[in-house]
Amino acid sequence: MVRDITFGQYYPGSSAVHKMDARMKFVLTFGMIVCIFVCRNFFSLGLMVLFTSAAVAVSRIPLKMILKSIKPVAVILIFTGILNIFYTKGGETWFSFWKISVTEKGVYTAVFTMIRIIVLVIISSLLTYTTTPTMLTDALERLLSPLKVFHIKVHTLAMMMTLALRFIPTLIEEIERIMNAQKARGADLESGGLIRRAKALIPVFVPLMVSSFRRAYELAFAMTCRCYTGGDGRTRMKQMKLGLRDFIALTVCLAVLAGIITLNHFFPKVI
Amino acid sequence: MTDPIKLINVSHYYSQGLPVQVAAVKNINLTIKAGEAVGIIGHTGSGKSTLISHFNGLLKPSEGTVLVDGEDIHKDKETLRRSRFKIGLCFQYPESQLFEETVAKDIAFGPGNMGLSDSEIALRVERAAEFVGLKRELLSKSPFDLSGGEKRRAAIAGVMAMEPEVLVLDEPAAGLDPRGKNEILRMIMNYREQTGSTIVFVSHSMEDIAATAERIIVMNHGEIALEGTVDEVFSHGESLRTMGLNVPEITRIFMMLRQRGIDVPSNIYSVEEGARILRGLAEGRRG
Repeated sequence: MVRDITFGQYYPGSSAVHKMDARMKFVLTFGMIVCIFVCRNFFSLGLMVLFTSAAVAVSRIPLKMILKSIKPVAVILIFTGILNIFYTKGGETWFSFWKISVTEKGVYTAVFTMIRIIVLVIISSLLTYTTTPTMLTDALERLLSPLKVFHIKVHTLAMMMTLALRFIPTLIEEIERIMNAQKARGADLESGGLIRRAKALIPVFVPLMVSSFRRAYELAFAMTCRCYTGGDGRTRMKQMKLGLRDFIALTVCLAVLAGIITLNHFFPKVI
Repeated sequence: MTDPIKLINVSHYYSQGLPVQVAAVKNINLTIKAGEAVGIIGHTGSGKSTLISHFNGLLKPSEGTVLVDGEDIHKDKETLRRSRFKIGLCFQYPESQLFEETVAKDIAFGPGNMGLSDSEIALRVERAAEFVGLKRELLSKSPFDLSGGEKRRAAIAGVMAMEPEVLVLDEPAAGLDPRGKNEILRMIMNYREQTGSTIVFVSHSMEDIAATAERIIVMNHGEIALEGTVDEVFSHGESLRTMGLNVPEITRIFMMLRQRGIDVPSNIYSVEEGARILRGLAEGRRG
């Protein structure tokens, strides 16, 4: 069911990764994602895999959760794998049949791309597993605050994002509730063609819209009652502070980047 | 005659197979007989709502069987679909299911899904609206323009219009003021008298259950803790209290009076009845 979506879910813990400053985690995650694309051969990619495994180990997120985060992209993985195997040509031909041929380069590219995607997903889900959505948007707000110079309402955007994230589970619950109520009235939500199915969703989405607007209105009212007036002059309960742990992480990441560039330089490139 | 609903050894687990697996209901054996008025009562989280979601196959039991009119409800899609119309389920805060342009169209949604003729649907809408006491002129209004109590009635009418063999209502009076609550309860009793259909009524209010049900099923931690007539169940005052439930206040007063040696019956469940007896007692003393 809809509840099984894990991508972007917090996994409580008290590891060093959990305790890191969310801003640093955000920047480093972004940086490491760039690093994945800097890798040019299996040696540098291997270093990246090593780094990712180490990060997962330090975060103490169970392997099961990590695998769960890869599941949603499995289709994309297989798809890119197949495309690369058959459409990238070069090097020795290993297998050939009718118009289809598999070459050395094709296999290498396919494997390389797939590892890349897996590492990418693991690194980004590591961020969301170890950081609460609130911390994440807080960090984003702080990181984007220089944009205030251009009169961009960073705080408002961050608040909207926090609220949107906060209401995802509520909405999922609401959808399930309404779906059950309409099914009890004999609504058939599971069969028929595309148009029939889309039509069948009207009894679900109309009440959902109505309740969402009501909820939004009530929330705005509650926030106003607690004197919320936007970002100006607002202080924080949890102050973000960079610590030793954050600088160690930064150093490690820089070292990995340096390693990747070196390995790229000394070994022939695959991609 | 086969029983409209029969549950055999039904258990339902949430997050099955995960370490956080929770049994929402376990080993439920339950029969709802034709024409009965059954009250299901239990503390919040005792599994009441999970239990009734099995009655029309919205939930599939992890273990056990659900029989509707003697047929396994999950036998095939067709049986399941038919059971949905036989067992009318009205959830908590049913007004959140309203979606049509007019109240009449919304009430017609259920009967429409049954594939009835237009004239039959129109008839049923009219009848259901009458049962819940919705005025005719409201039928052409948008359901979103109704008051809270009217919305609730319109939503209940939407389930009644399917004219199910068994009408299951989950906390139909929740969140209404005392007057609205009494009206809803009276309306349900009235519906039962006129149609002779079976009623299952879920609540955590002992007063409401005592006023409507003949038989009570008490749920506690996902299991049936007590079962019996109103008198039988309320005579277990002490064990009800340990489950976070209680007998109706007026019953408690009469029990306390008895403890003080005053000769009053212990099976008094409504204030009106209690008042009548006390008045009789006072007059007897004066005379």
